[in-house]
Amino acid sequence: MIERRTLSKTDLGALVADLLAAGASVVAPIRFVDQGRAHIEYGPVRSPDEMVLDGPQPRRSLKEVVLPPTEVLFRWRQSKSGVGIEEVPTSFQETVVVGARPCDAAALEILDRVMGWDFRDELWFGRRQATAILALECTRCDDSCFCTAVGLSPAGTRGADWFLTPVEGGYEVDVLTPKGEALLERHKDRCPEMAGPTTRRVAGLEQKVRANLDVRPDAIRAWLETHFDDALWKRAALRCHGCSACAFVCPTCHCFDIVDEPDGIDRGARRRNWDACQTALFTLHASGYNPRKDQAARLRQRLLHKFSIYPSRFGEVLCTGCGRCVRVCPAGTDLVAILAEIGRATAEQGDAR
Amino acid sequence: MQELKELAKKLLEEKQVSAILGYGYGRLGPQPIFVTEVTDCERLVFDHRCVHNLAAYLSPRRTHVAQLGRLAVVVKACDARAVAGLIRESQLKREDVVLIGVRCGGVVRDPASTQPLDGDNVAPRCLECEKREPALADHLVGEPKPDPPGNASRDARLSEIAAMSPEERLALWTSLLARCTRCHACRQVCPMCFCERCIAEKTQPVWIEASPHVRGNFAWHLTRALHLAGRCVNCGECERACPAQIPLGLLNRKLARVVEDLYGYRVTDDPSVPTPIGSYRLDDEQEFIQ
Repeated sequence: MIERRTLSKTDLGALVADLLAAGASVVAPIRFVDQGRAHIEYGPVRSPDEMVLDGPQPRRSLKEVVLPPTEVLFRWRQSKSGVGIEEVPTSFQETVVVGARPCDAAALEILDRVMGWDFRDELWFGRRQATAILALECTRCDDSCFCTAVGLSPAGTRGADWFLTPVEGGYEVDVLTPKGEALLERHKDRCPEMAGPTTRRVAGLEQKVRANLDVRPDAIRAWLETHFDDALWKRAALRCHGCSACAFVCPTCHCFDIVDEPDGIDRGARRRNWDACQTALFTLHASGYNPRKDQAARLRQRLLHKFSIYPSRFGEVLCTGCGRCVRVCPAGTDLVAILAEIGRATAEQGDAR
Repeated sequence: MQELKELAKKLLEEKQVSAILGYGYGRLGPQPIFVTEVTDCERLVFDHRCVHNLAAYLSPRRTHVAQLGRLAVVVKACDARAVAGLIRESQLKREDVVLIGVRCGGVVRDPASTQPLDGDNVAPRCLECEKREPALADHLVGEPKPDPPGNASRDARLSEIAAMSPEERLALWTSLLARCTRCHACRQVCPMCFCERCIAEKTQPVWIEASPHVRGNFAWHLTRALHLAGRCVNCGECERACPAQIPLGLLNRKLARVVEDLYGYRVTDDPSVPTPIGSYRLDDEQEFIQ
């Protein structure tokens, strides 16, 4: 049975202070302000007051905590006797994420599959092991959210070690994993046992999200696999600028590039950096040939990877419906509208049969 | 905006163009649309949420747009400066495009915003706007509009930054640029970033490190800003597109002021006026040659 505890807002602050004092890194939604424009991003907190747990969704996803935009794979040093390789550590500082969105927490578990598939990514799993996820039920959504269309929910606990449900004065905490239990063991005094029955209310957010988009992932997949040359691709891609904003804010996009960078005349580092299929350079061959010759092919690839290729290999879609790609696209490309259009097309096909 | 719709219909019916590039409402606000059918002209709109600079689609590297044939494009005065830039730099022939100028009273920062055009919601560049209707246009539609209300000027912020010590300035830009993940949205939306192969993508040799660490990010953003000095049309698209919300427009604005101070050049929508980088004058400043 799931262990259920309570956590007051004051005790959450004290818990964060305890963790920081014990040398852990605490990551939470925090506020950035530039030119009078404020936005929320996940970032390391120096004190509990910096956390913004009731704000809008962080603009970038949580994946960068486990897959940084750039990281060193190894360092090299060249000398007369040869080349020396210096490994990088694969164990990491304890990190606790407070206030992860359910769509972000689920994404990490979805990515575990590809990261542990034909090659076990030591850096990914090193950070995963060091990181505890304290996810928080969503109390607000917007027109871009569609987690319910990919089998998730604003109250979904997938990928969470603790799941926090806001109640009057604080949270109810579901302790869901051995890692979560170990964390509770160390901070039991902050999280007393439930004194009475649950006071959580049904938020009703799920219906709101469902109203944005109501499609079935398997219907999307069936359509994608039979409409490789559909006119949709060219039409939707006309406005696409071919940047990587959608993929870089996405909690599940995980493609990377590998570069060698010198740090002087005789030494350097091999790094991996985020990369994205929406750029022309991504598939450009050394010969000058590009198999994905235009933006239509690149847009199609993004949808195919998420809703056809990943499900065929790992049994689930590579999308958690967070809606970030919709929010950041400078050209207004709207994945919700595209998926809805595909959904309508499949419904019409069904009627015709 | 019946005037805009009627004009678009006429241009398509008379086969003056094969497509209209303008703004139409999607689910979450206006977005660029390409209208090829007369019946779809009803979708065309222009209002204070039509932020996007559509001149970016006229760059020759947009091959899929070029395939549509001759275009008519809806341009605000700031967008028209970008069209002039493309013509000036031989990326576009004036006769290859029909320009539908719109009178503009300022736009919001974010096209998805349903808030009124007021205060922090006004795009920063609109507070510095000198011209609310383009001179470079074949047609001009809409009524003249008042200037948008607003408070925070970027020039005030630039003065604050200029007053900082070099160490403080470095710390500020380090903290801002550290957030860049090199998605290159700033470059892709920029109408003046039309290089076939960007210097950031060259690997033999590597001029700009691809890694989004502070060193690589400084190399990228300073190169981008310098490459746009005297060319940037101050449309603010780089800043709007940035998912990390880095105030990139400050760099461009700073360099625009340096160019104006040194060469008396202010970016214009008259394509016949050469840029300082594209011209040679005997009386050019050369104090930097020691």
